[in-house]
Amino acid sequence: MMKILMTAMKTSISEVMETMFYLPVEFKEESTLSQSKLDENKPNMICQLEFSGDFSGYVTLLIPEDLLFEMTENFMGESLEHLENEHVEGTLTETLNMICGNALSRVDSKVPFELKIPKVIKDSKIVESGLFTIIETPQSMMAINITAL
Amino acid sequence: MSYSILIVDDSLPMRSVIKRTFKAAGYGNSDFHDAANGKAALELMKNDWIDIVITDYNMPVMNGLDFIKNIKKDDLFKDIPVVVISTEGNEARIKEFMECGAAGYITKPFTPETIRDLITDILGEASYDEDLDDSDEDFDF
Repeated sequence: MMKILMTAMKTSISEVMETMFYLPVEFKEESTLSQSKLDENKPNMICQLEFSGDFSGYVTLLIPEDLLFEMTENFMGESLEHLENEHVEGTLTETLNMICGNALSRVDSKVPFELKIPKVIKDSKIVESGLFTIIETPQSMMAINITAL
Repeated sequence: MSYSILIVDDSLPMRSVIKRTFKAAGYGNSDFHDAANGKAALELMKNDWIDIVITDYNMPVMNGLDFIKNIKKDDLFKDIPVVVISTEGNEARIKEFMECGAAGYITKPFTPETIRDLITDILGEASYDEDLDDSDEDFDF
């Protein structure tokens, strides 16, 4: 089931990134974050969203800070100097919310999935293990993981 | 013509994007109000006249569905059109909203044109000559 969801997730990521942030994306194979080419020296921002329904789990999205700043600028139509932390974190949580809601709508289920409120995660240790799908944008890379509960 | 537009979404960037979309669609002369959840929106509606409500579904404190139910059972608010803009694209969920009295439903991600077309259907054509005050906006309708 998680494979079906990840397929839907990829379609949603492409749609959300292109429609709301004007960024085309390409997908790379799954890998751990340490194996991926995500720059470990750059600060990343992490967000998680839990869902429940015919099956339950949570999705973790990791975006390098510089890419997230660019996404926030594109999303809000404001230059970086006019943006506050609330705008940047809000863009991160809204991105994951749109990706998950859109993806879960594409998965057949007896009842609609329920999404919890996405949360910004401050502890980067939680993403050190586990396989992530790496998403390449023209500027940088981001990563997403689905974990079953 | 200007309207009083209430945008309800727990995401500050999304409230800003929706407001910008309204301005780009020619409703820039309107009064914009915003709230981060249904409960806060109901409080605001007690004090300010609202012509149309745009609401998200997935919000803390009071979600969009409970918010609409509260609007529709209130004699003062029940005729105010409510448009849902949500990530929830499941048909059963959309049906639930429409049966509760939503005037329309838009799924995220959306294009500015989608919002403009639905709002124009509900409020009528915007007066571009008077309302378009958004020369710095970059939407291209």
